[in-house]
Amino acid sequence: MPPWAEFEPFIVSGLALGGVYALSGVGLVVLYRATGVLYLAFGAVGALGALIAWSLITKAGTPGWAGWLVCVAVAAAVTLGYGLLFGPALAKRDPLVKAVATIGLTLVLYGAMDLLWTTSGGQARSLTLPTDNGGFTVGTVQVTWTQVIALGAGVVLTVATAAFLRYSKLGTAMRAMANDREITATLGVPVRRVEAAAWLGCGVLAGVAGLLLADLVALDATTLTFLVISSLAAVLVARLRSIPLTFAAAIVVGLLHDLLTPIVALTNYRDMTPFVIAAIGLLVMSRHRVIAISREEA
Amino acid sequence: MRRHISMRRMILLAAALALGAAGCSSSSSSSSTTGTASTPASSSTGVASAGTVSTSSCGTKPGVAATGTPIPLGAIATNQPGTSFTDIPNMAKAYFDCVNANGGINGHPIKLYIATEQTNPAQIAADARQLVQTDKVVGIVGNTSIIECSIDSGYWQKLGFYIIDSGIAPECYSTPNSAAVNMGPRYSSDGAVQYALAQHVSKVVFDQANVPGTGYIAAGPAALAKAANTPIVQLTENVPITDANSVAIKEVNDAGPNGAVILNFTPPQALVILQAAQKLGLEGRVKLWGCSTPCNTDFLAQSLGSKWNSKLFVNAELTPPDGTNTPSMNLYKAILKQYGTSVQGGIGSFSQMGFTEAEIAVHALQSITGPYTVQSVNAAFKAVKDFNTGMLCQLWTYGDYPLHIPNNADYTVTANNGKMTTAQGCTPISAADPQIAQYRSAAGTAANAP
Repeated sequence: MPPWAEFEPFIVSGLALGGVYALSGVGLVVLYRATGVLYLAFGAVGALGALIAWSLITKAGTPGWAGWLVCVAVAAAVTLGYGLLFGPALAKRDPLVKAVATIGLTLVLYGAMDLLWTTSGGQARSLTLPTDNGGFTVGTVQVTWTQVIALGAGVVLTVATAAFLRYSKLGTAMRAMANDREITATLGVPVRRVEAAAWLGCGVLAGVAGLLLADLVALDATTLTFLVISSLAAVLVARLRSIPLTFAAAIVVGLLHDLLTPIVALTNYRDMTPFVIAAIGLLVMSRHRVIAISREEA
Repeated sequence: MRRHISMRRMILLAAALALGAAGCSSSSSSSSTTGTASTPASSSTGVASAGTVSTSSCGTKPGVAATGTPIPLGAIATNQPGTSFTDIPNMAKAYFDCVNANGGINGHPIKLYIATEQTNPAQIAADARQLVQTDKVVGIVGNTSIIECSIDSGYWQKLGFYIIDSGIAPECYSTPNSAAVNMGPRYSSDGAVQYALAQHVSKVVFDQANVPGTGYIAAGPAALAKAANTPIVQLTENVPITDANSVAIKEVNDAGPNGAVILNFTPPQALVILQAAQKLGLEGRVKLWGCSTPCNTDFLAQSLGSKWNSKLFVNAELTPPDGTNTPSMNLYKAILKQYGTSVQGGIGSFSQMGFTEAEIAVHALQSITGPYTVQSVNAAFKAVKDFNTGMLCQLWTYGDYPLHIPNNADYTVTANNGKMTTAQGCTPISAADPQIAQYRSAAGTAANAP
């Protein structure tokens, strides 16, 4: 086992990554609770936004801030557009069907990105934020402002979303729809509008996550599209319901993944972290459920 | 109850998707790797001015189109999301188009059939059979595939084909009937490690993509480090890399302040690691960073910027096109400009390789006096000896050897204000790598021809 000092830098990188996973996970949970859709295109729309931002900034000379806004706007528009177009048609279908439909969107976007931003000829792209150039040192560990923002965004959004769902009128409507869409509609809640708000919010988060991950991880369609897996693990642990649990699981995924890096025997297996955590989480929860049911039956 | 069932089904779906996506990711990583492994890389983003050079010098009868019976040649290239090597056969085709417009081969135009594959062994085997049985090709020129050499080597040997290709898989270099114009991942990594050792680093960290074949590649750098009595740490990373910060920190910690970190990744993956190092202020925490050929791209140099000036040293298998003013280089640029509309990457090592393979093939075909058959064409390919391609450090020879590493001397380039510039001229790859030693022993003077 390496000395503790060797683990310190990995705590910083793990927390930053966990923060973005949390941000993504919160977006997925909110949308699922409001619409019953597990939005598997979350990573792909973020990637699309980030690649468009890159093109604008590097090819068209657009100012950075405008490119970032476009990234978020594109992700929000695509997500909202999908929600408005397919949401009503799929509203009464099984959640499984709804989730599979988003895989269709993922594949379309992924194919388009591979076509438009080809990697032939050794082309490599990057999207860096100005916050990469500043930061501070903790001991011997360099911390960039982007890492701080990534973790901060995860924390702030988790708290804000939990408060929003609990205290706001729209949040209450979303929670009601999570329980029963039909009854909520009969109570006079504008279901379509509430769903549209959830799609839009999820799209905005996808854009922000895409931007941060393009900087922290890589500006690459494949990487960003499938990075949703790590957030999905956190969402599964939270059983697609609990915002705080999603946050905690996401941080654990990011942290554990990076902390395994200096351990020679485990370093090549660290990419299994999301799956292992999801599996353990599901096993523990299903065990509790079996015990609870047994008690009820007794 | 229904809701519980839905929830469980959703969770099961999500778990299944996670595994599925991991599978996708893994397959894409293997593609990345190949790219990684042996991916030749671009060195420039656009087609520079070819000046006043005329393309007519590519043929023997300027301005006279060839109208005879076509000479059918074939090529197989990987073309899948994230990894496309089609620029190489496309550039070879551009060269052939130029030759066809200027006399052809004794009046015969060359027709190049290009088959693409997606790293599917059955598909690759079928491609080879289609080229031979349906398209009736008499030679293979421009193959560039992640696993084609491994799959089809036996088939080509059985039929008596002698392939001129850009190699990736070990069989592209270790068999009697494949000769590449590039070095491939192992010898390119050798070159990068060799440069670092020449700078007297105290330790080498060699990091590459975690895909099949890494052991074969790692054996070269390990042998060089051992010969230099320098410790080497071998690392592998799952690709695509999702935790570049961790990877960069680990590499720097392992190398130490007087050590070297050598990368063998595709340009996008290498860039991810190098940028992470830059963001964390790690670029100066080791004596030098090195990279195998794929990093030799201005895309990468531009993305890194001036912070990496004289810190990153990259192996280059082919003559750097920037600032090189030779007849071959000018002809290459002129052909690319006039005929290379399908070459997406523009000037760079991909198109240089296609050009080089085509000019070797044309040189061989011009030596044939009788009909163009499988026997005559492949005998001519095999007979190529000491041919000056103008693109390599040394003369190129096919020859009747049990293995072929005809390109075994490299340049080293370095990132300099967004461009790759030459840091070291032609240097033979060390014979401390037993494969290089074996080839030089077999090929004799041909292996060392300047």
